[in-house]
Amino acid sequence: MSRYAKISDNLDWGILTTTFLIICVGLLCVYSSTFGTGNSIFIKQLLWICIGSLFLILAFAVDYRTLMYSAWPLYGITVLFLLLVFIIGREISGAKRWIIFGPFRMQPSELAKIFVIVWMAYWGEKRRHIQIYSFRDLLFPGVVVFIPIFLILAEPDLGTAGIVTFIAVAMFLMLGIKRSTIISLGVLCASVMPFLWILLKDYQKKRILTFVDPASDPLGSGYHAIQSKIAVGSGGLFGKGFLHGTQTQLKFLPEHHTDFIFSVVAEEWGFLGGTVLLFLYLLLITKIISVGLKAKDRFGALLCFGIASYFTLHVFINMAMAIGIFPVVGVPLPFISYGGSFMMINMICIGLVLNVAWRRFIF
Amino acid sequence: MNPHNISGPQVEEEFKKKATVVTIFVFTLLSILLFRLFVMQIIKGSYYEGLSQNNRLRIITVPAPRGKILDRSGIVLSDNRPAYNVMVMPEDVSNAHGIAAYLSGVLNMPLAEIEAAIVKAKSKPYDPLAIARDISFDQVAMIEARIFNLPGVSIEAIPEREYLYQDLASHVMGFIGEISQKQLEARSDEGYAPGDLIGKSGIELVCDDTLKGVKGMRIFEVDARGHRVRTIDERSAVEGTDVKLTIDQNLQAIAANALGTKAGAVVAMVPDTGEVLVMQSSPGFDPSIFTSSMTTEQWKGIMDDPRHPLENRALRGAYPPGSIMKIVVALAGIETGILNPHARVYCPGYYKIGRSVFKCWQAKGHGEMDLVDAITQSCDVYFYTQGRALGIENMARYASMVGLGAKTGIVLKDEATGLIPTKQWKRKRFGQPWHPGEDAITAIGQGYTLVTPLQVAKAMSAVVNGGKVYTPKILASGQPVLERDLNIPKSSLDSIKEGLRNAVEGDRGTARTVRDPAYSIGGKTGTAQVARGYVSKLPDEADITYKLRDHAWFFGFTPVDKPEIVVVALVEHGGHGGAIAGPIVRDVIKAYYLQKELSHEPVRQDIR
Repeated sequence: MSRYAKISDNLDWGILTTTFLIICVGLLCVYSSTFGTGNSIFIKQLLWICIGSLFLILAFAVDYRTLMYSAWPLYGITVLFLLLVFIIGREISGAKRWIIFGPFRMQPSELAKIFVIVWMAYWGEKRRHIQIYSFRDLLFPGVVVFIPIFLILAEPDLGTAGIVTFIAVAMFLMLGIKRSTIISLGVLCASVMPFLWILLKDYQKKRILTFVDPASDPLGSGYHAIQSKIAVGSGGLFGKGFLHGTQTQLKFLPEHHTDFIFSVVAEEWGFLGGTVLLFLYLLLITKIISVGLKAKDRFGALLCFGIASYFTLHVFINMAMAIGIFPVVGVPLPFISYGGSFMMINMICIGLVLNVAWRRFIF
Repeated sequence: MNPHNISGPQVEEEFKKKATVVTIFVFTLLSILLFRLFVMQIIKGSYYEGLSQNNRLRIITVPAPRGKILDRSGIVLSDNRPAYNVMVMPEDVSNAHGIAAYLSGVLNMPLAEIEAAIVKAKSKPYDPLAIARDISFDQVAMIEARIFNLPGVSIEAIPEREYLYQDLASHVMGFIGEISQKQLEARSDEGYAPGDLIGKSGIELVCDDTLKGVKGMRIFEVDARGHRVRTIDERSAVEGTDVKLTIDQNLQAIAANALGTKAGAVVAMVPDTGEVLVMQSSPGFDPSIFTSSMTTEQWKGIMDDPRHPLENRALRGAYPPGSIMKIVVALAGIETGILNPHARVYCPGYYKIGRSVFKCWQAKGHGEMDLVDAITQSCDVYFYTQGRALGIENMARYASMVGLGAKTGIVLKDEATGLIPTKQWKRKRFGQPWHPGEDAITAIGQGYTLVTPLQVAKAMSAVVNGGKVYTPKILASGQPVLERDLNIPKSSLDSIKEGLRNAVEGDRGTARTVRDPAYSIGGKTGTAQVARGYVSKLPDEADITYKLRDHAWFFGFTPVDKPEIVVVALVEHGGHGGAIAGPIVRDVIKAYYLQKELSHEPVRQDIR
């Protein structure tokens, strides 16, 4: 009983507060970007935050090492759901990404992000005697991680597959890989790239080409990019003020409550707002890394590093896309973009980090 | 929880260096973002501010002309003509009443209606609104002359689909229409926008990606009154790629003409490649009316027509094959070795199985028949006998092998499957065992069997070319697809062909209506009973109401020794096959030869 009395003492209040602040910014943005279209999306987002908070508490309450023991089953479930997408998935815009359960729908590829992190952390713990991975040591975990990535690629969901890949690479690097292996794998990847290009769908190629030459498709993804840049740029130092972003309010910018929500921040709150948000994310990510460093076992540490890389990738790619230095890919902004399963995953991640932080005091 | 042998400090030691590197990396990434934000918002802020403040960027899409649809020799079947639409950009309209007043005079439309439409569209200020479509040149001139006083109004020239031969091959061509919400969701990444035209059926649907081309666009800046100040970017539309069909426009026209107002279908095919030369379904429709300006009455008229003009009967109509089935039975018999072509069967005019009596169409009987005679005279008793000997499973197997009762695999959509019954099918469908009598009636093409005219063309092509089953091919591009080769031995093939030749050329042949002394033609009639057992009781064919009359089939090919074309005609409720469907096939075959002679190709004549 005594150890639970100290919940508040050992809780990482910094992470919780930062998360709370980012969520507040997000709610304002969702409200603004859907202003005038009824409140339903805003209300739903509130609801998701509430449900997400419950998941956060759950992810915090159960000892995180339970996850370690269930890494394989969780991995299995992820792969199963990814396979299920092909059978009962709903096809939207030529890609099967969603599974519909009555009124709910979920993207199994979102699950893959978190459970690949869990599995890799488990593997790092299990093989903790390996300090430096050689090519042979990489083979098995490499294949295990590649299966979900391949399934996501086949949906096709290039953005998510890329993110899972980068998370996995980041975690392998944290585990430590022989220098010679890194070099040879790098060469291998570079030589495989041209073949991957052939496998891409036309619209995916188009998006990448559009990024290189935005004028090549100003109506499609180029249109998003141009309008988003106008929104961000016109925000200036102080922004146009809450609910006064003309780009947003006049609906020049599509999908501004999901993927392009950062342009709402930048337009309405200006450079100052953008800087504050960037600072909040930097704070959150560095805090997660430091929790990882202080973790009492390798599993907890790797869990935190994985989650940190997950947030970093999402924040960077999403913002970079909004300000026109990255191709338009469907990568949402954590805690800010509208979306149920995404909010849930983010909350669970924070819950796990708090869990690792809190349990280092318990032996 | 079991204790772990790595404790906190050890973890920190292991990862400390890497974590520092990672933190620096994250910091760098976010700094890049910050730097870029600084550049965009502070340094270039006023530039973007200007762009956004009078966000006067207008994007106009320029629809791409669709590719043409051509026949096998390059005759244009479907093309585009310019149509002029009056467009209004609601945001740029300052005086809706004034505009409506002028336009109503020119367009001869009620002023109130135009004004109401513009006012309503103000809720979506940047979506262009079409006030009138496809206006005349005079109207265009009158509006263009005053365009400067009509801010927000523009004339848009868009390519309008045109079908040069109206209802000729209309089912093959299909039609285009505005993209549906469902299609839009499914294909939003391919650059479709609401209001875009997309193929809805036929080749227009199947080859939409080829035909559609690439939309062009113009981005320009407008001033506060909606007038163009300068063009910022422009990209012209790229015309879609033409699609060439295997259809022969001339033969198609002959077939359409021969069909006339009768409901039915004609399919002609090159037996050695599966190329479809003719696919005509009647009644047809003019695909042009679907393009943009179809009225509700026109739509209702087409939908409510009891003869279903939108239905492609060549592909979607499933009918009992009638006596054409006998050729499949002959093939199955010879191939399985159960039927000896030279063995004779006596036809007394009826056939008994237990206590049931099956009549031959020739009540007084045909007498002694071998295979050639039986095909020539379409003797029912001969084929009742063979059908009983073969059994349904053998017949079904060979029918399926030549492509009956299954989708033919042509690229066109919504093909009917048809039906080849089996014992198992009957048990499942009716919960009853197969009766021996059903072997007999299946063998003469009555009963449960259902086939489409295209399936018949495919199957008969395979029979006359010696057993090569080709997938019907309607796009000129690509290689013929050989599904299987039955390798019918020459002797068997000769017996069947001889019967088919005699049916046309012999004195007792049932297919004499297509006879032409100049050409070597083989063929077979078919009469598909609509109301089984009922029709034969009526004394006079003329008394039979249209709906109860039999469907008439005819299949012909020429020349017999080395067939170059197979023609299948079906006339719904046409009565006896030879009389109604035969002349259609004859017309197409004659036209085929005439065309060959005109193109100075030596016509292969059979020397007997």
